[in-house]
Amino acid sequence: MVRSVPTWLRAASVVFLILTALILLAPLVVVAGASFSASQFVQFPPDGLSLEWYRKVLSSRDYLSAGWTSLQIALLVTASATLIGGAAAIALHRNQLPGSQSLSALFLSPLVLPTIIYAIGMLMLWSSLFGPVTFLTLWIGHTVVAIPYVIRTTLAVLSESDPFLEEAARTMGARRLQRLWLVVVPQCAPGLAAGAFFAFNVSFDEAVLSLFLRKPGLTTLPVQIYGQLEFSPDPSVAAVSTIMIAITVILIFCIDRLLGIRNFAET
Amino acid sequence: MSDRTENLLLILPGLLLLALAFFLPIFQMLALSVSGPDGPTLQHFARFLGDPYYLGILWRTVRLSLIITAICALIGFPLAYIMARVGPRLRLWLIVIVILPLMTSVVVRTFGWMVLLSRSGLIPELLRDLGLVKRNFALMQTETAIVIGMVQVLLPFMALSILGVITRIDPRLEEAARTMGCSFLQTLRTVILPLALPGIVAGSLLAFTLSASSFVTPGLLGGSRIEVLAASIYGSVTQTLDWPFAAAQAVILFVGVILVLIPYIKVTGRSHG
Repeated sequence: MVRSVPTWLRAASVVFLILTALILLAPLVVVAGASFSASQFVQFPPDGLSLEWYRKVLSSRDYLSAGWTSLQIALLVTASATLIGGAAAIALHRNQLPGSQSLSALFLSPLVLPTIIYAIGMLMLWSSLFGPVTFLTLWIGHTVVAIPYVIRTTLAVLSESDPFLEEAARTMGARRLQRLWLVVVPQCAPGLAAGAFFAFNVSFDEAVLSLFLRKPGLTTLPVQIYGQLEFSPDPSVAAVSTIMIAITVILIFCIDRLLGIRNFAET
Repeated sequence: MSDRTENLLLILPGLLLLALAFFLPIFQMLALSVSGPDGPTLQHFARFLGDPYYLGILWRTVRLSLIITAICALIGFPLAYIMARVGPRLRLWLIVIVILPLMTSVVVRTFGWMVLLSRSGLIPELLRDLGLVKRNFALMQTETAIVIGMVQVLLPFMALSILGVITRIDPRLEEAARTMGCSFLQTLRTVILPLALPGIVAGSLLAFTLSASSFVTPGLLGGSRIEVLAASIYGSVTQTLDWPFAAAQAVILFVGVILVLIPYIKVTGRSHG
C-alpha cells in the first residue's frame, strides 16, 4: 500500500476548496442578500429584511417590458436553436457528409470566437443591408450563439445511443420520415431537451450581443441591469438579478435531471 | 431520396444560418475596417497603432489578460485535481458550484463584485478592520478590481477544461508512481502535471481570449479611466459612432484571438482525438 496524502495537505485542500467556493459564489450570494434589504442602498449584509424591492420590480414598467422582451427572445431562440442545431447534430453524427470533422468544428466556432467580434460584425452587416436593428436581428444573433450548445448536448447523447436501431427500423420497412421521427429523434431527446435549456439560458443571460444591438424598445433584462449599474443601482437591481439567478438554478436542475450535469461538465 | 440528400437537408438550415449570419458579418467587419471615403485604406489601423493612448489600452488589455489567465490556472489546476479525486457526492456539489456562476449572466456577477468591492463594501471594510490597508483605501476603479472580477468570471472555464483532461488520466499511473516511492507532491509534479498540461494550456488560451475580449466586467469595475480594448470598441460603436475605427480595433482583437485560438484548436483536437 502507498502512504496516503499527508495530513497537512488534506487540511490545505479543505481550506483551498472553501476559499474557492467562496470566491465563486460570493457575488451571487451578495446580490441575493442585498435584494432583501430594507434600506435605500445596495449593501451586504442587508440592513433589515423586506420584499419591498421585489414589489417595486413587479410594478416597474421598464423591468417588466425588458423582462417580456427577454422572455420572448429566449423562447424563440430555444425553438429555433433546438430545431436547427438538433437537425444538424443528427446529420453530423451520421458522419456521411464529406468533411464531417471540419463541419463539426465549423458549427462549434461561435463558441470559441469572442461574442464582441461577432456582435460588431452583425450590427454592421444588418445596418448596411436593412437599416436599424430589429427584434429579428437579436433573435438571429442569439440563435447563432446558442446552436453550438444544442449540437454539443445532442452529439453527446447520440454518441452513446444504439446505432443499429435505425437500421432495424429500416429493415422493418419504416419510411425515411418515420425512422427520423419515431427512432432517431426519441433517441436524442434528452440531448435535445438539455440543449433547449442551455439555449434558453444563453439567450436569457446574454449581454454582449444585446448591448451592441440595443435600441429604444429593444432592451433585454441584462441590458436593463447594465444600464442601471452604469448609473446608481438601488436594491431593485439586486431583486431582478436574484430572479435571474433563480431561473438559472432551475435550468441547471432541469439539465441535471435530463443529462446529468456531470456528463456535461466532463466532456 | 437518398441518405445523402436526407443528411444534406438536415444540415442545410444550420449551414445557411452559419454562413449568412455568422461568417458574413465577420467578413463585413473585416471589410469595413479598411473602408474609407475614397476606397480601401489602412488609416484606421494607422490611427490606432500610431497613438500612444490606444497602444496603452492594447498593452493594458494584454497585461491584465495575462495576469488573469495565470491566476485562473493557479487556482484552476488544484481545483480540477481535487474535483477529479473526491467522492461522487462532493464532486457533484463542486461541479454545481463551478457551473452555477458560469451560467449566470455576467452582468449579475459583476454587480455582485461592485457591491463587495465598493468603498463601504465587505472586502475593503474587512481589510481596513484587519489594519492591512489605510483608511482611504479603495478597490473600485482599479485594475485589481478588474482582475478579481474577471478571475471569478473565467475560473469555471479553466477548471472545466482541466477537469476534462484529468478525469481521463489513468489513476493506476498515480498508484504506480506512489508504489515506486514517489511522495504525493512528487507524483503530482512528475505524473499529473505533465499529463494535465494539454488541459491547462487549452484552458489558459481560452481564458486569455475571453479575458481580452470582455468589456462588461472591466468597464463596470474599472471605470472609464482604466479602459481596455473591448471597452474602447464598445465606446467607438455606441458613443463616438466611428464604426470603421471600431471595426479596425475589432480586427486587431480578432487577429490576436485567432493567433491564440489556432494552438487552442490543436491542443483540444489532440487531447480528444
